[in-house]
Amino acid sequence: MTGAYDEMYGVPATPQQAQQPQPAAQPQVAAAQQAAQAAPQPVVQQPAPQAAPQQPIQPFGQEGGLPAYHVHHSYIWLGTIRSMLAVLFVLLVTSFSSVAGVIDEIGYSGLGMLSVVLGGVGVLFLVVVGLVVLVHVLAYRRLYFTLGPNEFSLYSGIITKKRVHVSYDRVQSVDARASLVQRVFGVCNVFIDTAGGASNKAVIVPYVTKVQATWLTSELYARKRQALQPQAAAAQPVPGQAQPAATGNLLDYGKEAWDEVGGIFAGAPMQEAAPSFEYGLSNKQLFLSGLSNNTSFALFVLGFLLALAQIAGFVFEAFPDESNSVMGSLTVPAPDLLTGAGLVASIVGIVVLLLVVWVVSAASQCLNFGGFRARRVGDRVEVERGLLQHSRQSISIQRVQAVVVKQSVIRRLIGYCEVSLDKIDAESGDDSGQKNGLNTSGVIVHPFCKLADVPGILQGLVPEYAGIPQDRTPVAPVALRRGLIRRCIIQGGGFWMAVCVAVLQIMMNVLFAPGSDLTVNSAAEDALLLGWANVVCYALYAVAAAIFALDIVSAVKWARESGFAVNRQFMKVVNGGLSREERSFPRNKIQYGSTRTNPFQRMAKVATICARTAAGVGGTTIVLWDVTQEDAERWLDWVRPRS
Amino acid sequence: MRELPSEKLDPRIKNVWRINDAIWIIITFLCCFVPFAIAAAAEPDEGWIPIVLLAEAVVFGALLVLFVVILPPIRHMRWRYQLNGDFLDIAKGIIWRKRYIIPFIRVQNTDTRQGPVLRMFGLSSVTVATAAGEHEIPGIRTEQAEQLRDRAAEFARIAREDV
Repeated sequence: MTGAYDEMYGVPATPQQAQQPQPAAQPQVAAAQQAAQAAPQPVVQQPAPQAAPQQPIQPFGQEGGLPAYHVHHSYIWLGTIRSMLAVLFVLLVTSFSSVAGVIDEIGYSGLGMLSVVLGGVGVLFLVVVGLVVLVHVLAYRRLYFTLGPNEFSLYSGIITKKRVHVSYDRVQSVDARASLVQRVFGVCNVFIDTAGGASNKAVIVPYVTKVQATWLTSELYARKRQALQPQAAAAQPVPGQAQPAATGNLLDYGKEAWDEVGGIFAGAPMQEAAPSFEYGLSNKQLFLSGLSNNTSFALFVLGFLLALAQIAGFVFEAFPDESNSVMGSLTVPAPDLLTGAGLVASIVGIVVLLLVVWVVSAASQCLNFGGFRARRVGDRVEVERGLLQHSRQSISIQRVQAVVVKQSVIRRLIGYCEVSLDKIDAESGDDSGQKNGLNTSGVIVHPFCKLADVPGILQGLVPEYAGIPQDRTPVAPVALRRGLIRRCIIQGGGFWMAVCVAVLQIMMNVLFAPGSDLTVNSAAEDALLLGWANVVCYALYAVAAAIFALDIVSAVKWARESGFAVNRQFMKVVNGGLSREERSFPRNKIQYGSTRTNPFQRMAKVATICARTAAGVGGTTIVLWDVTQEDAERWLDWVRPRS
Repeated sequence: MRELPSEKLDPRIKNVWRINDAIWIIITFLCCFVPFAIAAAAEPDEGWIPIVLLAEAVVFGALLVLFVVILPPIRHMRWRYQLNGDFLDIAKGIIWRKRYIIPFIRVQNTDTRQGPVLRMFGLSSVTVATAAGEHEIPGIRTEQAEQLRDRAAEFARIAREDV
């Protein structure tokens, strides 16, 4: 029976784990431990294991026999200012009309009356401020948290009291995020993710100082470790030598400046457990990652299409009479562009605009990743980043769902990739951080590194993933043909673009053929117009052909490179093409496996394999098309629990 | 090809499917048909309305035949499941055939649901939920549903970590 559970941990067994070969007895042990801890609880106040001497936060009282902690007092006034900005806006909008109405009514003579009205508005404003402050003060007094023996509890609510309890062993990840204003004052919001509840909502501890956030994070992880392995509560030694951050970049000075200043209430930096592995980004990596992000590729496509539209607009605007009746509504109206110079100018304008957008997006990416640091501390991976808005994500190694190596088209050309860790994401109720996409694709542990450097990074950061299989079971030979059909025709952008253009062209040529009674122009004008329209169509065909060619290249590359590999603990799926994605995950993170076939696949004796993990919001399916049926069945056997 | 899972759904599920599908098809049919019927009554001169009515009747008649006569036996034939020691094996699908392996240690909870139609036939439907999606076994006898539920509960106790 134990055989089925020894792979419950994807991590290779540490010596301590290896010496306790009855993991099935673990829950009872844990329960006994909890009971033992719970019994003397009122008598012995168990302080934090190692942080007690330098605990950066003082309890204000007790809740349920445990020290209870308030959040930072900036909750009151920063929160007030934040709410007041919204209130002020509403007040201005609503009172403006009434004030204006009064002025209109009494004329400009009754200054006394006006001052009374303004005074009234002012008093109203003060009352609202007072109310908001009162609400915040009350909320602050009722907002506190405790660290119990088994669970973290957050108490909140003025009228309706709310308690959230988080069992330590259910903590998925702890993130500390600070907006720019919060950063100035050295406070941040702490998000505790549990992957529970209907919408996976994170528990938010708002407005704690930076050092308190650090303390809370390490405390939660220490207690989590204790809850999971009562015998081996001490920090596990992690393989991999301590390696100081060798690389740095220009923006690190900005980060250091921030660290130096720290923000008004940040507190003295806390002595933390030394990371066993740490790295930053070099100048080159940072700036190239900004320049080669996905936005840039989208921008190029967009710019191309805009330029095309502009050309089309020019073509039709050159014949102002017809364009209104025929294509005027379809093209960008550009009444000034009657000359070739105008066309050139507008294209140059578009190019400049796109360059500006590109630079801005690159700069924002650089700011997002400014001060980037990824490190391994004990059994968690921490990623710190952001020059203006700061975030410090940490994820427990047991909660990593997959290691993903992604190469977008541009990065593929220059041999670089992005490395991220998949985790179960929360539907963040708070808007901070969502704007930056901080939470979109797991935890990015390196935004831009050479493909050859990936093994070294993974070795240091997640040594538990050392056993990722290196071989590859390729897709079936017939997958090339099927891939060509699928990627070039069924999902092929070029093909469908050509079809649409062809339909449009045929319709135009039939409807506006010379002599057709639909047109109001002379036959010569019609012919000219149709000629131009056909030229545009041919240009579009050329574009479609180019996309089609890219699709072909992508499909061929996909068939050559894709495949999967499994060994006892891990599975790896590679999906190639113009962009490439490699996803490795432990077998025990597969929630369920499935294969599916359609009639054509059954004829070709291939199947699609789908491994479903809980990563992302609501789960992720890792799909590989067209492996041979024997391989698919072997894989399905591998997914089956081995008892 | 490896052999399919051994258990079939209870044959009475075919009638459940028939009734459910027939209800949906008839409701949709009425929603489409009635407005045109009213229009036809109001405007007897319009020649195209009866044609539309006829087309609708033909299409929905065909759908009804498809879902009531043709599909249920095939679906029943293709729908297999098996409770192995520690995993659930499901094979289903007529054109797009799917095969699922769901280890019981990954199961978070199981629900037993019984709508009025299922209750009429003395059947239950069991939903097995993992952290990343759920699977429904639509028509099994109640004692089997309980067995499935117990098995999942037993393994959920053993599993230490959730996800």
